[in-house]
Amino acid sequence: SCTVYATTLIKYDLSCELYQKKRQTSEPYLVDLGEKELDQTVTIGATVPTGFEHTAAEEVQEKLEATARVSKNRGRIYFDITTDKLFKVHQLKSLDNLFVVVKDYDDYQFKTTKEEVQLDWQELATKLPWTNALEVWKLNNSIKKKKGRRKRTNPTKSDQCGNFSTKSTDTVPSDPEELLVDLEALEVKENQRDVSSQPEDDSEEEKHSEIQDQESGVTPLKFRVTCNRAGDKHCFTSNDAARDFGGAVQEFFQWKADMTKFDVEVLLNIHNNEVVVGIALTVESLHRRNITHFGPTTLRSTLAYGMLRLCKPQVSDVIVDPMCGTGAIPLEGVMEWQNSFFLAGDNNGTAVSRSVNNIKHIVKRTHDEGSPSGLPLDIVQWDLCNLPMRSSSVDIIITDMPFGKRMGSKKKNWELYPLCLREMARVCKPGTGKAVLLTQDKKCFLKALLQMEGLWRKSHTVWVNVGGLHAGVFVLKRTAVVFGTTSEDVMEPHTATGSQKENMKDASQ
Amino acid sequence: MKLLTHNMLTSHVQGVIKGYPLIIKATEVKVNELEFSAPFVSRMIPKLEWSLISALNCTLIPDYEKDEEFLRKVHRILLEVEVVEGCLQCPESGREFPISKGVPNMLLIEDE
Repeated sequence: SCTVYATTLIKYDLSCELYQKKRQTSEPYLVDLGEKELDQTVTIGATVPTGFEHTAAEEVQEKLEATARVSKNRGRIYFDITTDKLFKVHQLKSLDNLFVVVKDYDDYQFKTTKEEVQLDWQELATKLPWTNALEVWKLNNSIKKKKGRRKRTNPTKSDQCGNFSTKSTDTVPSDPEELLVDLEALEVKENQRDVSSQPEDDSEEEKHSEIQDQESGVTPLKFRVTCNRAGDKHCFTSNDAARDFGGAVQEFFQWKADMTKFDVEVLLNIHNNEVVVGIALTVESLHRRNITHFGPTTLRSTLAYGMLRLCKPQVSDVIVDPMCGTGAIPLEGVMEWQNSFFLAGDNNGTAVSRSVNNIKHIVKRTHDEGSPSGLPLDIVQWDLCNLPMRSSSVDIIITDMPFGKRMGSKKKNWELYPLCLREMARVCKPGTGKAVLLTQDKKCFLKALLQMEGLWRKSHTVWVNVGGLHAGVFVLKRTAVVFGTTSEDVMEPHTATGSQKENMKDASQ
Repeated sequence: MKLLTHNMLTSHVQGVIKGYPLIIKATEVKVNELEFSAPFVSRMIPKLEWSLISALNCTLIPDYEKDEEFLRKVHRILLEVEVVEGCLQCPESGREFPISKGVPNMLLIEDE
């Protein structure tokens, strides 16, 4: 009787789930359960900002209820999902680029001569389980179509530390291990009945190809291979691998090679003895999603999101970005954590107006989708070293500090950093306050931090790669010490913007 | 600029001792609907300088956490009323900080 009960329960659960599903798709409810349609389980790979693999895995767990593996190859995570969740994967905010894994090898034994390796690639191409991955790729195209095209005023910049380049073969890449294949077009045969959509890079291009498709009826797929190789025991370069593997893929599928207007991007990732073959699911990196008005140092949205996750924003937290630039961090924050309040500021008028424009754009987007148009966010033009804010009013300070290379200068940082940290300590709540600060000038930052020993305590550091520069995200905790009572803030900086008396008064308020 | 922000802003003109609260002189105000969250409002209330809110004819009631109508009223005041154009005046020095397109400019000039 126990077994019967259990089975009935399962049937009941399934029927409810099925009913819900049917209801959502407004199809007639079928009483005959028969075999529940199982969605295919696939492995998705994603590139993330290096250093933020674990925060990305957290987001995957939270939103997809899937456990993510962090690859030994930095900046990548893998997780399994059923295909019905593919749409949700695109909505994740920690991920830069997505791909579906065709197959991965933990311990691939490479032969020792180029010729043998080439033969292996040829054999491999014929043996790989392409079908499932290509189904996912097809499904993904229809998802992308539904999302529609978002206008972008600037094209995405090529990602220095990312793994997928969209450069043409004519350009010589700075990283010799990341090369693209140039294959001669062979005689083309019909292989696929389905015609894919062109990648979302240019609406004009898409129209053109759609017309082409209509005229020719069915066009064969165009593809390219991108290879990333790392390791010192390989007898071949990524160029060799991409060329040989690409040749094998072409022979197997009879696809046409095309460097720029490809339908399918095959990824070959080699990290020592780990080999992962994948098919790209994103063409444009997801990381500039909120920013339509760029500035000279606009932070990647995925990086901004990762930093925000480190803060763990709580309900009613007041979160301040005192050097917001074009507003990447507060924008990302306000989209995800709608129960906190974001205050962003910058001293630069252009930066402020760009932030305002980026907000307007987001507001317009969310308003079109039928929700209230306001956001819990305000922008102020201010001087970070003299914040027009009450002491102890802020819960979290999060910002991208000037690097001194693209913005500001190293010399300026020596003066700026201690003043910043001091003023941040003043406005931040003693005991509970936190700061998450990104900077490339680690030496200067750490020195300034030492001077602030009484007010800030280092919690941990995440090392990241920003535009090719090695930077650190420093997570700090505000100590319980009240501002105005320690030697650090009593000292007289030469660019004092307030008298000592004022500081003491603030502390007693 | 929302009134929640105004609650936290002060004047930092040199020499000024009581730069708070800033006096609002608005020439353009708009109301922008924002998603209501009871937990947000009730947890924000103790963090505020309530005198600025009570000045708008909104008295703090006991047990406010359970009074949705009250919380919605406070929500409207804090987050939905926005000063688009105008200025903020330092109560002590009289210095005016302009607000343009909803953004207050709190930058001081050299001598300030």
